[in-house]
Amino acid sequence: MHRQIAAIALKELKIILKDREALALLFAMPVFFILVMSFALEGVFEAGTADRPIEVLLVNLDKGRVASQITEDMEFVEGLKVIRQVDGTDLTRYQAEHLVKEKSNPVALIFQQNFSESVERFAEATKPAPPRITLIMDPATNRQLLAPVQGAIRALVERRVGMARQIHYIRTQFSALGEMAQEYLTRLENTAGRQAPAIELEILAPAGMATAVRPSATEQNVPGYTVFGVFFIVLPLAAGFMREKHDGTFQRILAAPISKSTLLVGKLLPYFLLNLVQICLMLTVGSALFGIHMGQLHALILVSLALAACANGLGLMVAALGRTEAQVGALGVFFAVILSALGGMMVPTFVMPDIMKTLSLFTPHAWALSGYHDVMLRGLGLGDVWQETTVLLGFAALFFLIALWCFRFTD
Amino acid sequence: MTDPMIEVDHLKKAYGTSLVVRNVSFRVEKGECFGLLGPNGAGKTTTIGMITGLVPPSAGDVHIAGVPLSLHPREAKMSLGLVPQEFALYPTLSARDNLVFFGRLYGLWGRTLSNRVAHVLKSVSLADRADMIVSTYSNGMKRRLNLAIGLLHDPAVLILDEPTVGIDAHSRHAIVSTLKDLVRSGKTLLYCTHHLWEAETLCSRVGIMDLGQIIALDTPRQLIRQHGTGLVYVEFSDKLTDLFQGLKKIGDVRKSPGRSMGFQIQSSDSNMAMEQVLKLAGEYGATIRSAQLLEPTLETVFLNLTGRSLRD
Repeated sequence: MHRQIAAIALKELKIILKDREALALLFAMPVFFILVMSFALEGVFEAGTADRPIEVLLVNLDKGRVASQITEDMEFVEGLKVIRQVDGTDLTRYQAEHLVKEKSNPVALIFQQNFSESVERFAEATKPAPPRITLIMDPATNRQLLAPVQGAIRALVERRVGMARQIHYIRTQFSALGEMAQEYLTRLENTAGRQAPAIELEILAPAGMATAVRPSATEQNVPGYTVFGVFFIVLPLAAGFMREKHDGTFQRILAAPISKSTLLVGKLLPYFLLNLVQICLMLTVGSALFGIHMGQLHALILVSLALAACANGLGLMVAALGRTEAQVGALGVFFAVILSALGGMMVPTFVMPDIMKTLSLFTPHAWALSGYHDVMLRGLGLGDVWQETTVLLGFAALFFLIALWCFRFTD
Repeated sequence: MTDPMIEVDHLKKAYGTSLVVRNVSFRVEKGECFGLLGPNGAGKTTTIGMITGLVPPSAGDVHIAGVPLSLHPREAKMSLGLVPQEFALYPTLSARDNLVFFGRLYGLWGRTLSNRVAHVLKSVSLADRADMIVSTYSNGMKRRLNLAIGLLHDPAVLILDEPTVGIDAHSRHAIVSTLKDLVRSGKTLLYCTHHLWEAETLCSRVGIMDLGQIIALDTPRQLIRQHGTGLVYVEFSDKLTDLFQGLKKIGDVRKSPGRSMGFQIQSSDSNMAMEQVLKLAGEYGATIRSAQLLEPTLETVFLNLTGRSLRD
């Protein structure tokens, strides 16, 4: 029996290796996806970090003290770079708007002429109108990219405005203290806040997760792309079964002294191996180009084996459910793409609504991704991925059972 | 007495309420070429599917070389070679790769396999094109490769389902010639076709199938003797209503499909019938556009038994 399995697997491999489209789908597409998405979206993933600060064009029309204090404070904010001048001269509003319109810079910050005065008035008034600053943004710019910029600027402005109110209050309440107190308040006004951030933010993994290095955005995304790519095996696998049935070779094989299980194992084995090669390739590319950490290898292999079994089961199920090549193609795309989206390959599940989060648990993709994240990002080992592995194998068993129930060996 | 190579016993196949094979029984002896003849939809391919183990029968038994197929399918299938109606080839692989793959399924490996591959390639005249990709082959070459795969493991019984469909006369003669050699060498053939010339040339006995059952089974000569009638095809230029009544006196007359003044007259003596048709045309002053005389054949046997042509 094992010789017959080997014969079928070898034949299948030969056919796949001659099929350039299938190879492109299996290998080039996922690797290309990793490369393109990682390089192209590096700006989005890494923007706002010390290495890739977001450039903010600054137009300061205010003649007072508060705007210049805020802009000086901005110099200390990690991930922001303030551009005040172009060609040695201070930016005008027109220039700033033009640069944003040209997509040279994502955002411009405008302090209007009497900004400092409005802050003073705000501090003094009982029911004041808040002082206004203007941000000019390209409407097409990613909101997620600009949200931290908005947050940082708002925090700085509010700190300065709050401080002005406090100083005004102290000055009013303690005006009797004389010249010495006034001098102290003036010094406080001039210096406070013009320094490094008041807190140091320490980011740690929960106890038990061994990772010491904070993973980069690419490291977080490569496992997702890998799971996404692995499930594309569904298309050539199911199409291969359809073609054999259509061409009559399936019947010819079954006319030989061979069992149906031998035929199925022989047909699936090369796709299972191809999945493993695919995973190796994608993770190797991720490691070589983006320095992703593999974690514990035996845990990684365990999750990968369960994932490949699951993808093969799904492929066989699609082959069993589809009655025509068009149906198989549509079902394959549906399962490969829709389940990927639902499983958190495109949008992280933690930002999804509760119902979607619950639904994602019914996709093998989410469990595979969780397994990879456990090993590669959280630094967990074999004993920690048993749950994901078991669920993946459960999905695989379910897919195989449905497939065998519905599979028609002869048309 | 030795076991027949194929023994089909009261075979039935139903799909839901539709009975497509009804109580089919026959035996094929060693070294015999048995023809299964019938139009499309007669149940031939389903019967072959049940004999090769591809289609589970609803009732009945099949024995191959004395081995019950339902009880020992692997052993029974080792004695069978199948040449299906479809090409059933891998078009992106070479002929040699196709043969090697199917050979391995029958347990052939190493030198034995390469020797058998070379032998069958030579026997179907494809040795010089063995390493060409099958998709570049003509239909005739594909048919020959189809046959070669069936012969690869040197089976005692070869089952052929319409092995010459869609090929030119030259390739058809080449295949029939190869099959004659096989019969001479002692192989047992079950030959399924609706080409009468092939059945008459190759088969020692013929079973005629219609509507899922065998309606006649004997040697071609006996079938023709018992059921065969001569045929006269005639077409008149003029539309004469009385003519049809006149033709009825000559023999069993039917209108030829698609021709308003075309008739086919079935008679045990076709020469006499033709003379009478010509005489009748003279009497009625009718002009004959075309006339054809056919001697009794398996075609006329089928027509006589079913009232339909094999190609209907």
